[in-house]
Amino acid sequence: MSRAPGAPMDIDEFRVSLDAWLDDHQASLEPEYEGSGTLDQQMAHLAKVKQLTYDAGWMRHGWPERVGGFGGSSLMRAYLGEALASRDVVEPGLYSLTEVLAPTMIDYAAPELAATMVPALLRGDETWCQGFSEPGTGSNLGSLACRAVRSDDGWKVTGQKVWTSLAQYAQRCVLLTRTGTPESAHKGITALFVDMDSPGITVRPIVAMHGTDEFSEVFFDDVAVPFDRTLGQEGDGWAVAMDLLPYERSTSLWHRAAFLHRRLQQLVETAPAGALDPTALGEVTQLLYAFRARSRATQHRMANGEHLGPETSIDKVLLATTEQAVFDLVSQTLAAEVTIGDDPASERWRSEFLYSRAASIYGGSAEIQRNIIARRLLDLGSDR
Amino acid sequence: MDGEDLELFERSLRHATETHTGTALDAALDELGWHEAMAEDPRAAIATLFGLQGGANVTSSALDHVLVSALGLDGDADAGIVLPDVGRWDPPGWIDGSDLHSSVLSVAGLATAGLAEQRHALVVSSIDEKVIALRVPVPSLVLRPIHGIDPSLGLLQVTAERLPVTAEAEVVPGDWDRAVALARLAVAHELVGASRRMLELAREHALQRVQFGQPISSFQAIRHRLAETLVAIEMADAVLDAAWLDGSVTTAAMAKGVAGRQARTTIRHCQQVLAGIGFTTEHPLHLYIRRTLVLDGLLGTATTLTKALGDELISSRQLPPLLPL
Repeated sequence: MSRAPGAPMDIDEFRVSLDAWLDDHQASLEPEYEGSGTLDQQMAHLAKVKQLTYDAGWMRHGWPERVGGFGGSSLMRAYLGEALASRDVVEPGLYSLTEVLAPTMIDYAAPELAATMVPALLRGDETWCQGFSEPGTGSNLGSLACRAVRSDDGWKVTGQKVWTSLAQYAQRCVLLTRTGTPESAHKGITALFVDMDSPGITVRPIVAMHGTDEFSEVFFDDVAVPFDRTLGQEGDGWAVAMDLLPYERSTSLWHRAAFLHRRLQQLVETAPAGALDPTALGEVTQLLYAFRARSRATQHRMANGEHLGPETSIDKVLLATTEQAVFDLVSQTLAAEVTIGDDPASERWRSEFLYSRAASIYGGSAEIQRNIIARRLLDLGSDR
Repeated sequence: MDGEDLELFERSLRHATETHTGTALDAALDELGWHEAMAEDPRAAIATLFGLQGGANVTSSALDHVLVSALGLDGDADAGIVLPDVGRWDPPGWIDGSDLHSSVLSVAGLATAGLAEQRHALVVSSIDEKVIALRVPVPSLVLRPIHGIDPSLGLLQVTAERLPVTAEAEVVPGDWDRAVALARLAVAHELVGASRRMLELAREHALQRVQFGQPISSFQAIRHRLAETLVAIEMADAVLDAAWLDGSVTTAAMAKGVAGRQARTTIRHCQQVLAGIGFTTEHPLHLYIRRTLVLDGLLGTATTLTKALGDELISSRQLPPLLPL
């Protein structure tokens, strides 16, 4: 960097200086594997990229000083992820977990805990996971059953989580637990920050359709969690979750838009003559630019300090629609690569095509998003 | 314009569009200074008026003004302009002959109702690779009032075959593609305005209509149709926002294409939710359906614009530039 790390920057200055730095460091930032690589390779590479960008200062812009950041607009975080995803330096889904979990810690953890822990996440020293879903609790988060009970020296957690991304790599988990009665629904939920090496935790990775074990089942058997690892107060878990979910639908979606743009550009560059249907390509492009425009506006609202709420469900519906449309077009245009190609490039197209099927399922299914839109944005009243 | 100014402007335009249509709305727009606002803040003027015009299902000749002013031809107070024909966006006139003064002009286009009252029509025409504007006496053109699917829009079909070019030709100061882009934004705002109104109508109906002992708004099939409609509308609004911010002709074309497609999505869901009553002329839905179908055809349909974009991307192998964060 041509200037002192940590000096305040505006987004335009940040963009220009970061682009120059990325150009200069392209060789050290490029993955060493071809195609998608294995999840182990991706995770090792992600940690390396986070460390390089943190040590050079880029990763610290847009985060509060009290957690090791340089302060400044959150747009810089959005641009960093955009720049990394659009150069294929990181896989945006893995990278963006930081954008979901760090804000939650900043808002709800005790200040000393946040100050100790968040820099380790930003720098790639640690991986964190998010323990929300359970076998009996997919869309209906308020029904979760993983139980935390008070003992003399802390919480004791027993239960099961599922779809926990990167649990086998994670040092910590933001965990939602039931601390009220089973009937207490959303009122009796408490969020805990759990060390994944605590005795009593078992992680069983699940191999997903696209070929990697990105998700796991996590079992908790009488796991001790100190009281000072409570996020917010007892019973604040629902608020933690509700405040976290819009983050899942803001900066991480912006990063995903950059990734989808890169893939569509690669498709347009490499499609065999005559293979692309112009109407389908035109429609997918319109969709991508619309989704990106929507996500851009959300980024600016967030940077202006506006509270993000149910309107981000529209962003999520647009992401799912766009991602599936982009990869539907890929699978039609590059049918041979996706179905019978065994070279690294084909394997990556195939894996990403298959992963796109999950876009309308994870992070609140397409149906749940539409329920939220109907209830909260259209004010249609209760559905039962 | 922002804050209170914009609010006041919006309120007076809302009143005008709720109480007038056609030439009466034109007069009201004159009076409240819409043309001055166009010169000062085109985005506020266009987005506000056309959104409201779509929402109120009224019409004016404001689209003429958008095109004329973008072409830099707005010195001509007593002239209307010929718009491209349905589904097209090339200039509506074409000139045969090498020397302008011994050549002939043919015209195939549309006009808003006000053209019949004007003395002259500006006919933007292509000659070789250039674009010029001809000031043609209105009586020399054939004007056919269009009844069609939306009679209350009052569009005119404008044709002329091989008129001797006697008029003074003006080289158009502005760029035709840029003028079309601005007019597309206007029509896209009108489509969004009409779509939002259709969604309101369907929503009100869903909350009031009781079947099986409960309002149909409690049924997920209904709720998801309405949610889908809102997503479609917000998507069009998002591209419109991007088009205003980046000022590119390509983004404006995308905005018009997306607005046309989302309007058809809106029609499909809202008419199904309104069901029987929405199929009658006793409910206003049909007026919005008629209007949006015609507006989709102005300056390129969703289908033609989408295919044109795809063709362009296939030949350039390069996606359009991105609006930076």
